[in-house]
Parts: sequence; structure tokens; C-alpha cells
Amino acid sequence: MASSTSTTTPSKHAFTQRVQDVRCPKSDINALILDYLTMEGYSMAAAKFSKEANLQPQQDDASIRSRQEIQHYIHIGNFEAAIESLNEYDPAILDEDESLHFALLRLQLVELIRVCNGDGGDITEALKFAQEHLGPRAPVNPQFLEDLEKTMALLLIPQESLEPPLAALLDPSIRRETADRVNRAIMERQSRRVIAGIRNLVKMRCWAENTARDSGVPLPDNIDIGLHGDDSDSLSNSLTHSENGRHFDNGTHHENGHEPMITT
Amino acid sequence: MDGLDGRVSADMMGSGDAWRRGDTLQHHSRIFSQFLAHDDTDDSSLDGRFFVPSYLRGSTYMRKLAEAHRTKQNESKRSAGSDLTADISTIPDPVPSGSHRGLSHQIIERQSSSQDEDVLTSLPSKWNKHDMWSNIEIQPDGRTVKYTGPRTHNERDHEASAVRAENHMPAQCGIYYYEVEIVSSKKDDTTIAVGFSTKNATLSRSIGWEPESWAYHGDDGRCFTAHNSGRHFGPPFNQGDVIGCGVNFRENTAFFTRNGVKIGSAFDDLRGKLYPAISLKKPGETIRANFGQHPFVYNINDMVKEQREKIQRDIEATSTSHLDPDLNESELLQTLVLQFLQHDGYVETARAFADEITVEKEALSLDPNAKVAGTSIKDDEDANNRQRIRAAILEGDIDRALKYTSTYYPDVLDHDGYVYFRLRCRKFVEMIRKAAQLRLSMDKPRNNGHLGASLSQLMDVDENMELDEEHLSSEIEELERNMLKYGQTLQAEYANDPRKEVSQALADIFPLAAYVNPLKEPMFSHLLDRSGRVAVAEELNSAILLSLGKSSRAALEKVYAQTTVLLEDLRQEGGVGAFVSVQDIVDDISKHNQF
Repeated sequence: MASSTSTTTPSKHAFTQRVQDVRCPKSDINALILDYLTMEGYSMAAAKFSKEANLQPQQDDASIRSRQEIQHYIHIGNFEAAIESLNEYDPAILDEDESLHFALLRLQLVELIRVCNGDGGDITEALKFAQEHLGPRAPVNPQFLEDLEKTMALLLIPQESLEPPLAALLDPSIRRETADRVNRAIMERQSRRVIAGIRNLVKMRCWAENTARDSGVPLPDNIDIGLHGDDSDSLSNSLTHSENGRHFDNGTHHENGHEPMITT
Repeated sequence: MDGLDGRVSADMMGSGDAWRRGDTLQHHSRIFSQFLAHDDTDDSSLDGRFFVPSYLRGSTYMRKLAEAHRTKQNESKRSAGSDLTADISTIPDPVPSGSHRGLSHQIIERQSSSQDEDVLTSLPSKWNKHDMWSNIEIQPDGRTVKYTGPRTHNERDHEASAVRAENHMPAQCGIYYYEVEIVSSKKDDTTIAVGFSTKNATLSRSIGWEPESWAYHGDDGRCFTAHNSGRHFGPPFNQGDVIGCGVNFRENTAFFTRNGVKIGSAFDDLRGKLYPAISLKKPGETIRANFGQHPFVYNINDMVKEQREKIQRDIEATSTSHLDPDLNESELLQTLVLQFLQHDGYVETARAFADEITVEKEALSLDPNAKVAGTSIKDDEDANNRQRIRAAILEGDIDRALKYTSTYYPDVLDHDGYVYFRLRCRKFVEMIRKAAQLRLSMDKPRNNGHLGASLSQLMDVDENMELDEEHLSSEIEELERNMLKYGQTLQAEYANDPRKEVSQALADIFPLAAYVNPLKEPMFSHLLDRSGRVAVAEELNSAILLSLGKSSRAALEKVYAQTTVLLEDLRQEGGVGAFVSVQDIVDDISKHNQF
């Protein structure tokens, strides 16, 4: 198990010292960044980054932009356009994944209902859409039928008194989830990887901390990732760089609290 | 190249069922290919060589072992002296034949850490002739053991002759597995035991009868530990059978297989450092062990893969909310990436990314008129400066980078500082590189643009090198004069520098000047590679950040480093960390980056 001896800074938790000693190659980080920007469809940033960091693009710009466009349509709630673009891009995706297709059509119905709820008026268009597009697909899968019934309930129950699962249908976060799902479906057709590496890394970080704490590994009470503000290990490279240290501002705020800085 | 790698590693380890998604060719296998490339199928030649059991391929443990092995080889290469271009196959075996315990070979401490968990144990690879009882003999292959002694009526029935492997099973593997083939034995009376024991167990009795030993016995099919009655376990085994023995360090259990079929779990009370061990009792009994040098009969790869996939599912189901309760997973990732881009001075990317995030937020907002809190990018003068400096280095223009740096951050270029030294080394390398490129363009066969282009791609050469020959020759001479002068200055200034990394760096780059065209020298051309610029640029960037009182690491890098250490802890004693690693994530990207 982790020994708690640390020769240089006894007040610092051994864990913190070891983290600082880990080599963290920029090439790895850059690869993670480009992978993320590419896979999650940030085409402009991906293009700029491969230029600024001198990296080979991971995918051609046009493909990233197509995925980005589809995601955008879903984000703004224009499911008709999203389905159209997706079919233009690769019709096999929706043909082969009925459940994804149904999910998109259902959200399209939700948008129609939202419109008529807002106007306080005409529900015929929503009904017509449901009958034409969703009704015929529903019998294929009992889950589809249930989902359709729930969605239709939106027409009958006033928005204020919706149960949480129904209210979630109107919440924009379902659009984000669906956009991610569509993106993954596209990625799956193109590559064996569907999740950006960085997503995996962040989850692994949380899982590893939970597991280590559960099995009694001695760890600091709080392992900060330093996302907000500057943090406490500004001296991380001071062992190899003689010029460091003297610029260090002793007034720097320490998020971890329990680690008084030692200046060399 | 890929094809060759794939073939070699498949020959070596059995193909088809590599532990990750069934790939036969992995990123890592390339690492090992140099060790395999000169291999032949003769059994005895495997002895003492580096091998990768199929079920450990791609694991962190194996990666570390390979690194340590490579370091070892490089060291012996250095000490081998003048013949720098020696083919790797001519390098002496790093394990001297006399070092049966392989002490120097077996314990490698990683630099920069004093943690005892960094001690790396090699895999068992052969039986240990200094750790066995009389009456048996290890054959020259190191893996075959024969009962040779005459059995006299003086010997009592409880006596047997046991032998242990030279290394213990490394817990960092997570799961360890080896197999024993019963080469010969008397039908229905195979008094052979297959299992493992600690160093405390006596070797003069059957494995399993002694405390701290555990085994499956051939004559009665029972399994034993610390007792001579044992318990019912599986079928007896005989000549021709292959018995597998596995330890799951995560669960602290042991299991056995027979002819490729798992019998079941035998023990759950393991402790101590466990050495593969067997015992023989009667004349004519012979076994041969496979410590992973050859494909196994039992499909151990799938068992490891199963463990791995289960852990991967657990990871995927983990919520990231405790890293920042205010952000959902997507927002957390956006924040991490944006912070990194700003931190490292990727100004234009950061701006483009912030714009795209804003568009996304607006799209997700139900009220089209609501103002989305824009992701603001401070127009950070420092970031711009750092970007300029980085761009100069990436173009190979070290003088420009030095000029900017001394203008904006004079303190960083402290003349005793390591960063300053690194920049000057790179300048020297860039001078050599430029001269070498010009030479290369002179060599280029005329009227054969195709070959020229592919050669320049191969050699990582900048384009636009079309000059007439006279000009070229004089320019090259001029360049080389300057380069030598600059090298002499460096040598004069740093020759007596006490820092080990300084003398090492000089020793690495000075030989470059000795070649007419180092770009053509496979031993050295990598030093001229453009990727070296990235490393120098990042070092300088870190130094500047530190001089500004900022952390040298962005949050994402902290996540990376913390995860690495956490997994290291979880890898001890064969914990879950044995089955996952940060490197897997990165390798996965490079492996599949072709769409």
C-alpha cells in the first residue's frame, strides 16, 4: 500500500507528491483534446487545434461539420431537419436503429405539442403527426407504445401539474441526451470508438477515487482537480527547474486547505 | 510493417484471442516486436528472452516490464561500446546465465519515486535449479523437469521432490496463470502435484502437504493445502494431460484447469509471495511448464477480458458529479477542455471552442430571447505571447522564440536554468537538421519527383528546398561551419555541468554532427524529428507559467496524473487497477484515429 513517507515536504500528503511526480506527456493530452473536439463535433475548434498544436486532423472537417449540424438541429428542437440531415448523411443509421428513429419522432411530437400548448389552441397537427408517424411504429415494441402513451398525456395534463418523468420530456436536457445518442450512432458506423477518450478518463478518475476510498487507500480528504482558480501545486516541477520558486506568490489561495506551501 | 508485427506476435503468442476486443495487433505489440523479430521457434532459444503471455498483452504491468527491459537493453547496448549501429540481435542477453535469481534483472525501480510499490517483479519464466530438492533434474530448456533419482526403499512414502520457479507470481498482473504438461508418468499413478508455494514451504514433500503450499494432485484428483488429506476436487490426471494453475489476486483465489477446461476454484486462503511449484515422486515422471512463452491450452484470455469488461462497465456507470456538483458531465468536459486550451495558450482554439459552446447553449435554451451567459475568453496578453513563442518553436525558429521569451519573460531564461539549456540544444539540433535537409535535397534524384517526394515524407523533411547545386553546396558548408561553432560553444559552456540530464542531453546530440547526413542514420534520425520541437515548446511554456505564479498543469492534466496514481494504488496486490489504465485510453485514440 501507499507509504506515507515523503522526503521533501513532510506536511504534504504522499499522494499529492506522487501525483506531481507522474509524467503527463503533452502529446497524450493533446491527443485527448483533439479526440474530444472531433468526436463531440466541435468542428471549428478541432480545425484550429490541429493547426495550433501541429496535429494531424483526426477526421476530415466535412464529416465533423455534418455531425455538428445534426446535433445542432436536435439541440434547437428541429427534429424534422435533424432526421432529414441524418438520412442524407447515412440512411442506414435510422433504418437499422428503430428505437433511435422512434425517439427522434417522439421528440418531434413533443415539439408540436409544445407549440399548441403555448398557443392554447389547435391540437390537430400534433394528433395528425402522432397518427401518421408514431402510431404505426408503436406496435413493434411495447416500450414504444408506452412512450407514445406518455407523450400523448402531455396534451391532456396542464404543464404545471406534470409528473417528473413527463416534465422531463419538455426539458431541453433530453435534447442533449438524444443528440449525444445520435452522435454515437454515427460514430459507431465510422469507427469502433463511440465515446471520447476524455469522457472515459474523467469517469475513470471518479471511479478510481471511489474504489480506492472504499478499499481504505490513504488519500487526502479532498482531491482537487484545480478547475477553478489557481491551486496548490504551482511548484510541481521545481525539482527539475532551478529557476522556479522565487516567483511564487505566497498569498495564493489554497483550495485544499491542508497543504501549506513550502517554498524552496 | 503492421503486417509483419501482426504475424510475428501471432506466431509468438497464438492469435485470435488477444485480450482487448480480439485485436491481434495492438499498439503495444509494436513495442515488443523488436524483441520478437529475431526469435525462432527453437524452444531453448526462448530461455531468458522477453516474452508476453497472451492474457497480459496490453496490461500496465507488461508495459512497465517491457519499458524496464528496453532500458536494460539500451544500457547494455551503451556499455557494449563502439559499435553503435549494432543490430539488436547481436546485443548480449541482458540476463547473464549465472544469475539464476536474476536479481539485477528482476527488481527495477522507477526513477523519481521511492514508493515500494514501484518495484517491478519479472514473470516466472523457468524452474529454479537453486530452489529444488534432490532426485529431480531441470532440462536445458529450463521448463522441463524429470525425476531422475533411483527410488530406494529407504525413502518413505511422504517424501517427494519439489521445485519452484525463479520468480514469484506478480500480483500486479491481477490474474496470473501457467500450465504444466504431464510429459510422462505411470498410468493411473501419477504422483505429480501442480500448484504454487511460498519460499517457506519445504521442498522435500509433495506440494500442498506443507503449510504455505497449494496444489492439485494427479493420483487422486484432490486439492491440498497444508495438509496431507486434502479435499475432493477434480479428476485424477495422467500422462498427456495439461494442467493449468491460475491465481486471481483480486479475489485472492486459485483455480485449476485440465486440458483447456476449468475445473473450478480450489483455494481462497492465499497469502505470501507465491511461486509456481510442482513436485514429482517417482522415476519416469516428467513435466514441462509453459509460463506464457507459448499459447495456452485453456482460454485464459477470455477470463481476463471478462474481468476487464466488467470493470469498464463499472467505470462507465460512474457519475462525475463529485468533481464539480454544479456541472453536468457535458459541461464538466467543456470546462476542462476550455481551461486547458487557455492554460496552454491555444488562443484561437479556445476562442473557436467558446463560440461553439455558446451556440450550443443558445440552441438548448427554450426561450429564444434569453441571453445565454457567454463563455468569455479573456483576451489574455500572456496567452497571446505564449502562443507566439510556441509557434516559433514549432516552426524550428529557436532564435525567434528566444527573442520573444527574453522580451516578455526575461526571468524565464535564467542562464543557469535547464530550459535555457534545452532551447540551445534544440537550436543546435535545428542547425544540423537544416544542413541535413539541404544535403538530402541534393541527393534527390532529378526528374524523379515521385521518389523524391516519398523520400522526403519518409525523412520528415520540410518542402521548398529547391535551390541550385552550387548555391546549395556553399550554403551547406556555411551552415555546417556555424553548426560546429555553436556546438563548440555549447560544449565549452556545459562540459562541466554537474547535472546528469545536461551531460546526457549533450551526449545524445553531439554524435549527430559526426554524420554526413544524420537524417539517414536510423539510430539518430529520431533526434531530429519534429516532435522534439513540441517537447521543447511545452517545457518552455511550463516554465513561463511557473514564472507567472500559475500552476504548470491544467486541470485536465491533474485529472490524468491523479487517475494514474489512484490506479497504481488499485493495482497493488492485484486489485482492480490491474485491468485498466490511463494509457489504454490514449492508445485507443491513436489506434482508431483513422475513420
